[in-house]
Amino acid sequence: MNLKHSLFVLLITAGITLIGNTVKSLRIGAFVSPIEAIPGLLILLAIAYLGIVLAKVIPVKIPAVAYIVTFGMLFTLPACPLSEFINPLVAKVDFLALCTPILAYAGIYAGSNLETLAKSGWRIVVVSIFVMLGTYLGSALIAQGVLMAIGQI
Amino acid sequence: MKNYKLHIIVIVLVIIAEVIGTITVPIAQVKIVLLPMLFALIMGILLAPKFLKVVNDKDMADAGSLIGLTLMLLMAKYGTQIGPNLPQIINSSPALILQEIGNLGTVLLAIPLALALGLNRESIGAAHSIAREPNVAVIGDRYGLDSPEGEGVLGVYLVGTVFGTIIIGLMVSAFDAFTALHPYALAMASGVGSASMMTAGVGSLVAAHPDMESMLTALGAASNMLSGLDGVYMSIWLALPFSEFMYRKIKGKNATPPSVPNPENNNSDIDVFKDVAN
Repeated sequence: MNLKHSLFVLLITAGITLIGNTVKSLRIGAFVSPIEAIPGLLILLAIAYLGIVLAKVIPVKIPAVAYIVTFGMLFTLPACPLSEFINPLVAKVDFLALCTPILAYAGIYAGSNLETLAKSGWRIVVVSIFVMLGTYLGSALIAQGVLMAIGQI
Repeated sequence: MKNYKLHIIVIVLVIIAEVIGTITVPIAQVKIVLLPMLFALIMGILLAPKFLKVVNDKDMADAGSLIGLTLMLLMAKYGTQIGPNLPQIINSSPALILQEIGNLGTVLLAIPLALALGLNRESIGAAHSIAREPNVAVIGDRYGLDSPEGEGVLGVYLVGTVFGTIIIGLMVSAFDAFTALHPYALAMASGVGSASMMTAGVGSLVAAHPDMESMLTALGAASNMLSGLDGVYMSIWLALPFSEFMYRKIKGKNATPPSVPNPENNNSDIDVFKDVAN
């Protein structure tokens, strides 16, 4: 695994996101030109690449994702001097537009799992429903209890 | 990675999906929101040799190897959405923070169920969390996405992506209509770490309680951001160890040891994580 390969894939993803971002902005009638979105995308790319490099270089077992989320957060904290500069730029990159290319790759890949999914498919669907139910109910019950305890409801 | 055909196909899918845009389907009280990413996913699946035969086995394998890396830009964006709101989140009510622990409810409920249904190591990936992007990345790091655990997390991820908004939307409406739980609590719980599911959950609540709209959307968004913030850490430090513990308790002597990422694997996403693991 080399870092050049990672950078190449990040660049391709950024390019596809840029196209999707532009198309979406045209559709919703709030046009964001590619030139406006490129700086924000490059910042996201730099944060992502920094995380991948750190995960590789630092010997402690922390996944790249954890570095990436943490740096994204630190750079955009109101207390961070960079945030005033970074926040408006990354805001030009639509959150949902970033998701679309990932799901396109995921869909193409899922095509190769259709048989496996069909075999254990119904079980995964049942488990998925209970996964959502568990998360949702657990959170709702605690929220209800705490809100009642502090007298908000 | 130099499979240009694959990338060009993805560009076409993304353009079509974004042109279709977001479609809202109102069914009774439930507002079901269908996002462009859902259309991209479905179109991607339809290109398989089984259906339209546009992609071949190599294209599909290449796509699989790239998912891990393509996620990283989104992860950076997640981070940048949390930063500006952090002070607000810290000031917000203790309920908002404590209800995050409720996400572990899924381990209690779904691990035993998955094992009872005959899944083995798949259950760890499938039932340790709601299997959104950060959780998929964590499982890929820990076990490899081509392992049984990876199969489990990708299965729930795909089901959640395709049916998640529908399931959450219906669930929230049902809890609101048939239980004594307050809409505020239901709105907070909707923030499971997926923007589309949160939108579906809060959307159904707002439809039922239009007078509370601003408070419900604020609580949902804040909770969703919190889940985005703690999702990775929660998975690594709480949900996964807890899941492994439940798995060993239930399976006893029949427990299978955890998978390790395959060092021979050429898949780039797994390689990223393998280097970290070593």
